[in-house]
Amino acid sequence: MRTYRVQSDEKTYDVTVESKNKRECRVEMKDATIECVRNQPEEISTWAVRREDKRFHARARSLGSNRVEVWIGGLPFHFTVTPVGVAYVEPIRPTSGAKSGEVHAIMPGRITSILVKPGEEVSVGTPLVILEAMKMQNEIVSHKAGRVTSIKVREGDTVRKDDVLLQIR
Amino acid sequence: MLVYSDADQNSLPVTYADDTFHFVGVTPKETYLSTRKIIHAAKETGCDGIHPGYGFLSEDASFAKACEEDGLTFVGPSSDSIEKLENKLTARKTIRDVGVPIIPGSDRPLKDDDDAVAIAQSIGFPVILKAVYGGGGRGMRIAKSAEEIRRFYRLTRMEAISSFGKSEMYIEKQLASPRHVEIQALAEKRGHVVVLGERECSIQRRHQKLLEEAPSIGITDILRSALSDAAKKGLEASGYTNAGTVEFLVDDAGKFYFLEVNKRVQVEHLVTELTTGIDIIEEQLSIAFDSHMNLSQNEVKVRGWAINCRINAEDPRNEFTPSPGKVIHYHAPAGPGIRVDSALYSGYVVPEYYDSLIVKLAAYGRNRKDAIRRMKGALNELEVIGIPTTIPLHQSIMTEKQFNDGEFSTTYLDILGPRLQKTLARLEENAAALAAANTAITMPLKNTWTHRSNWRRFALHMHRRGW
Repeated sequence: MRTYRVQSDEKTYDVTVESKNKRECRVEMKDATIECVRNQPEEISTWAVRREDKRFHARARSLGSNRVEVWIGGLPFHFTVTPVGVAYVEPIRPTSGAKSGEVHAIMPGRITSILVKPGEEVSVGTPLVILEAMKMQNEIVSHKAGRVTSIKVREGDTVRKDDVLLQIR
Repeated sequence: MLVYSDADQNSLPVTYADDTFHFVGVTPKETYLSTRKIIHAAKETGCDGIHPGYGFLSEDASFAKACEEDGLTFVGPSSDSIEKLENKLTARKTIRDVGVPIIPGSDRPLKDDDDAVAIAQSIGFPVILKAVYGGGGRGMRIAKSAEEIRRFYRLTRMEAISSFGKSEMYIEKQLASPRHVEIQALAEKRGHVVVLGERECSIQRRHQKLLEEAPSIGITDILRSALSDAAKKGLEASGYTNAGTVEFLVDDAGKFYFLEVNKRVQVEHLVTELTTGIDIIEEQLSIAFDSHMNLSQNEVKVRGWAINCRINAEDPRNEFTPSPGKVIHYHAPAGPGIRVDSALYSGYVVPEYYDSLIVKLAAYGRNRKDAIRRMKGALNELEVIGIPTTIPLHQSIMTEKQFNDGEFSTTYLDILGPRLQKTLARLEENAAALAAANTAITMPLKNTWTHRSNWRRFALHMHRRGW
């Protein structure tokens, strides 16, 4: 849960944001709860926004130094977004667990084949998994030398970005 | 062949045209209003006629005359009939003489402000001061008292001179809250007039239409046929040819009055195309080049309902000031019954020199309810990112009760005002929520405290204790 002060030229909104994951979050403000879901991150990201029974789309981009531009219903809005107080900080999960030995999905997609077995010895650069995304086969290779301790996915699984695929120790 | 100014060189029409002719400059005066340059371009490229569109010289008798004299077919009425209808006083007389009611007012140009006050007192306030050669909602002012007439007289006269080059003015009674209903017609040289039904254009801002429908929810079948007959008679009496629109005001008692004739195809012609299935531009070309249309009155069947929303580059939060600029992203809606007339594309820069209309978004349905439902969906899908537009205004109208009930007049926007403010406030709230969400997700708080720092533990401890 994080608290922000969002300011436009004329108004100030105090809101709390609870993010479920890297795509979805729930924003609580004075008289409303607004759910926001982000599509593929881009320079200007597309969002689906739900308020009560209404759902609509919007776009947002960061303009740097706390400035955010939002497009909604044909109009631009500019805000300064400032974190309030010392909120709890979720640890930022590294995308490739250099220390932990976790291997993560670098993009969302489908596991088409697993190239290693538990207990197998691997070195840096050993191909581990083939991840298919946007009709392209992507080889996920090992970032460290060691032994495969567990495999968290099966062939055919759909994974999201940053999901743990396997563990190397 | 398309003529274009410097400001339009990156426009889609220029990209799509078979042939183009470039005018140096950006102002209307040195480009699209230059009769000399346009005629020259047409001759140079071997054109046999000119379609004037619906702006600039489309209702200019001297331009039509120049075409006629140079052997170019002007797609529109003859210069004579434009001239006859250009002067509003002559138009009122022509129409009155065939038995069509006109709005009470003066039948000659005003001599001075005393003259205006005297006429106003005889017909009753409020009145509208109007330029005899005016049009398009400009060169007119409402006066509620003798003092206001004296105050506005000079101002309106100056406006008439600067906009239309002629100073004559006349006066008309201002009806309380009328509907604006117009009849679309096609006329061929033999004096044969076909009407394509009516359009309801009451939703206006400062006499500029914002939203149009076909048919009109506010008139009975009896009134509908009375309006059609009046339009036919009026156009026949003025020897009119090609596409034209006869505009009427209808008061709350169902009495109608002639307003003016639009001597060209109109912005909102697409709603009539949707309800009749007739391509009005194609008919215009047939009438102009082949001297006949492919159409008889009994072939015209009005089916279903169509609504058009004019999406303008104007900022509804800032008194609708024009908002030209770069469109960084554009997405047009689609689906059954949706028609989008627009030349926007992602990356296009809306020039600051011309009209603010950037998208005509029309929805067609079996009935009005159906058309409104589709329009709501289309307005939600339409994306014009980069410049403020009137999309929220139309979203606000689509969910408003009186509009849905069909109970509105030309004063509708006054009613909508507070509601629009609420819509805008709500949009800002939603936008603020999203701004926070965007920050939370894309820019996780930089962890300035190292993982094992006691400072962080201390801060967390204090936070949990409510500090």
